Amino acid sequence: MNWFELITLHSPPLIVAVPLLTAFLTPLVSKINEIVRNLFVLIMLCITGLLVLILGYDVLTNGIRTYVFGGGAPLPSGMNIPVRIMFEIDSMTIFMVIITIILAIICILYSWSFMKDQDGLDKYYTIILLLVTSIFGMELTGDLFNFFVFLEISCITSCALIAFYVHKKESLDAAFKYIVISSIGALFILFAIGLLYAQYNALNMATIANAIQFTFFDKIVLVLLVTGLAMKSGLAPMHMWLPDAYSSSPASVTFILVGATLAGLYGGLRVIFTIYGNQLLNTGFTFYPGLLIGIIITTLGVLSIFIGVFMALKRSDFKKMIAYTAVAEIGYMFLAIGSYLIGLALSVPDNPQMLVAGTYALKGGLFHILNDALDIGLLFLVAGAVYYATKQTSLNSLGGLARNMKYTTIFFLIGLLAVSGMPPMNGFASKLLIYQSTYQISPILSIIAIICSIMLLAVFVKVFQSIFLGPEIPSLKNVKEVPKSMLAAMALVACIIIFIGLFPNIIIDNLVTPAAEALQNTTSYISTIVGGA
Amino acid sequence: MVNMAGFSLEFLLLVVGTIGLALFGIFFGLIYKGIDRKLSAHMQGRIGPPIRQPFRDVVKLFTKENIVPDNAIAWVFNWAPIIGLVGTISILLYLPIGSINPIANTSGDLIIVLYLLMIPSLAMVIGGFASGSIYATVGAQREMATMIAYEFPFAIIIVTIAWILKTINIEATNVFSLSFIAANPLWGNLGILGFIGFIILLLVLVIVTPAELSKIPFDSPEAETEIAGGLLAEYSGRNLGIFYLTDAVKTVVMASIIVALFFPYNISGFFGLNNIPAIAVDFVFYLIKVLFVILFSVTLIRVAIARLKIDQIVGIYWLWITLLGLVGLICIMWDYQMMLRYEFYKPIFSILGLQ
Amino acid sequence: MIDTFLKSLETGSGFWNPLVLGLAIIIALLLIYIIRGFGKKDYKKGTEQTKAFLSGNPEYSKDEMHIKGKNLYWGFTQALKSVYNVLEKMHNGNTSDYVLWFVIIIGALFIIIGVI
Repeated sequence: MNWFELITLHSPPLIVAVPLLTAFLTPLVSKINEIVRNLFVLIMLCITGLLVLILGYDVLTNGIRTYVFGGGAPLPSGMNIPVRIMFEIDSMTIFMVIITIILAIICILYSWSFMKDQDGLDKYYTIILLLVTSIFGMELTGDLFNFFVFLEISCITSCALIAFYVHKKESLDAAFKYIVISSIGALFILFAIGLLYAQYNALNMATIANAIQFTFFDKIVLVLLVTGLAMKSGLAPMHMWLPDAYSSSPASVTFILVGATLAGLYGGLRVIFTIYGNQLLNTGFTFYPGLLIGIIITTLGVLSIFIGVFMALKRSDFKKMIAYTAVAEIGYMFLAIGSYLIGLALSVPDNPQMLVAGTYALKGGLFHILNDALDIGLLFLVAGAVYYATKQTSLNSLGGLARNMKYTTIFFLIGLLAVSGMPPMNGFASKLLIYQSTYQISPILSIIAIICSIMLLAVFVKVFQSIFLGPEIPSLKNVKEVPKSMLAAMALVACIIIFIGLFPNIIIDNLVTPAAEALQNTTSYISTIVGGA
Repeated sequence: MVNMAGFSLEFLLLVVGTIGLALFGIFFGLIYKGIDRKLSAHMQGRIGPPIRQPFRDVVKLFTKENIVPDNAIAWVFNWAPIIGLVGTISILLYLPIGSINPIANTSGDLIIVLYLLMIPSLAMVIGGFASGSIYATVGAQREMATMIAYEFPFAIIIVTIAWILKTINIEATNVFSLSFIAANPLWGNLGILGFIGFIILLLVLVIVTPAELSKIPFDSPEAETEIAGGLLAEYSGRNLGIFYLTDAVKTVVMASIIVALFFPYNISGFFGLNNIPAIAVDFVFYLIKVLFVILFSVTLIRVAIARLKIDQIVGIYWLWITLLGLVGLICIMWDYQMMLRYEFYKPIFSILGLQ
Repeated sequence: MIDTFLKSLETGSGFWNPLVLGLAIIIALLLIYIIRGFGKKDYKKGTEQTKAFLSGNPEYSKDEMHIKGKNLYWGFTQALKSVYNVLEKMHNGNTSDYVLWFVIIIGALFIIIGVI
């Protein structure tokens, strides 16, 4: 076994371990020098990125990978259910991990100058890295209890990061709300995991999925898990913590919080598609369970889109507006996922067209996860740049910044077009997939998706007018363009956005379609662990 | 391996087509503008300007000084008109003209047209905001509110048409493309209920058109009498001239969309023509159709009704016109269900014995 | 390889090729730029004509010439006032209300999924 195979074999735990160890080493390294510390964190994350690429290539070519802790053999001999902690990686996992690592690297790059004037930065980097670790853990793990542990780590570290500006009462308020709400959510998830363990004597996702019967307890578990994770990902009407948390934390933190939110969404997908994947078309009930879940998720998704867009239109704080937009974008993903579930249920017995439409919707929804992270992220970075230059983000006191901050203005324009799904940006490709598939489920879904996307344009044109256009305001005459590392971070995101916008097929064929197939194919996820099944 | 010859041919077609369509749009846009002004003058008992007046206007504007106000952000202010006109011209690539299929036939569909239609309005809004004048800002934010208002009914029409086409042709994979819609006119394939629904949708689109072109009664963004030309208040010279051209091309585009969605019929078949003569005859017929659409949805409404307040516009579109559009949608959905369930309920053309 | 770059995105009901649109935009942009070049370029800088037009009134201070964010889209929020009243009431910033929404959703889903 040469070194490359060895790295490929051990890459799943290393992806979690490298950021974790870096987190604990950062306070020590920062004793030397600030620049050394920043470089150290950046390089370690780049190494993690390399590991992600190696693992991704391996999984996309060779299929699902498992990694069992504490043993070389895939499973302990003589046992028919796995008892050890294990990671299970399929294409969907890879998709999410790639999004996370992109966000993490850009966040660190941006923090370089953005956080320069703050103190307590050694702890800041430690907590950021712990958050990244927990997101990776949530995505890679194949074990429910493990998932809960990483979820708790992400809750606590997010709370600490949201409260980074301790001198501001909004930050403390938002952090308090966040910790209360996500702890309650996480405890309900723990309760659900306990119920599953009590019934099936297992915590491994594949094992539970294999044994699940959809009894009354399972229904309760489904409700608790889906609601808890939907709240973690900011689905209306449980989204209220999200605008507070996003708008009062530093921009670099918000950027990585988007990743944490999407990890919650990923957990929801795992629950619905993997644990309950074989029960979606259970015929023992009046309605297919898949149909019910689909209708609920779609309704809440549409509600999210509506509430997010309407609230964003009336806010007058830049970051609050982006935060509400993020709620709306999450709504698009849930709309697409729910449409797939409805399509799946309607396609039985003789309507295969619906399944085709649903599959396109699912692809659009997954593609939108990537696009949303980049678009919303870019806008948050721009908001951070505005804050860095002027120390405020309120639309009522800014104006005329396009004169002094030309590059930031251009990046903002790219973000504006991308988030409102204007062609030829990346947001358009994924939204097009959603529009042109959900209309077969119901024309109303597609109509609402289109009109709300257009309203998003209005939201950010308002920002463009109030912050960047208009006459030169005397108090903002001496504003300077932000430092190079922030511009580089924004430029990097903008380049990815434009690349995906011009060549959407490359991402869809190589990442999104395998991810969608992995989600749809519950059996292969289960049989990798349980064998045969 | 790529077919290099075919590829470069397509490339050449795209280049020539874009330039040709741009000139076509500008030329006929200005002519239609002249006809519109002449007709509305006659309706009001005036003589009106000659039909070539819009050309003279443009030439005159291009010889005037191109003032950039102090308060404006110069680069945004100057680029906004160009982007608006470019966006409008690029829509023509996706629209069938007469019996000629769209040039970008297999690379875009109605949703792209819907989005591209926003670009001229968006350019005007951003240009207005960038001029740093109070009048222009008020006008621009009104235009934005109007835009959100009328896109709702417009989206309903597009999705409804695609839905019914998909339901009828379950195997089709391009129901959103305009060439498919033009090749499968819906009027005959609907029952009575669906026919009524389709007429309602046409009515809705006709009411959306004046708002899309910011004409009376939905011209509160420009409102000369209260906010002095609104979002164009600070524009002059060639920049204003380009906005003038954008308006002209946009009129042709909107009329062509109505023609393509609702009246895609061609007459060359009646005369048994083919090849070049057929294309020519259909082209002339298309020009006449566009003229009639402009007459009904722009000229007549403009002469007959007074300007509305901005919150009235939003209220009308988000409540009444949207409701009307939804009624049309429901009619068409019921129509399909009726056809599935009852034998006697047949498409109109088969009742009339045309098929 | 180049084929995958040029392929249109298929959505099952339509297609989308950004490159064609991008090319068309570039060509049209060149054309319009040339047309625009025929126009007169200059104006008298620093004279009265570059002042903002205010129907003959003197210009206000720069701060007041800029319409602030909270005043935009009045027509829209005015027309949909009833919707906004409900939404504003929902987002009252009270943590216990936030938790209440969570409990309401759990309860509603119990009824829908558990009972049916």
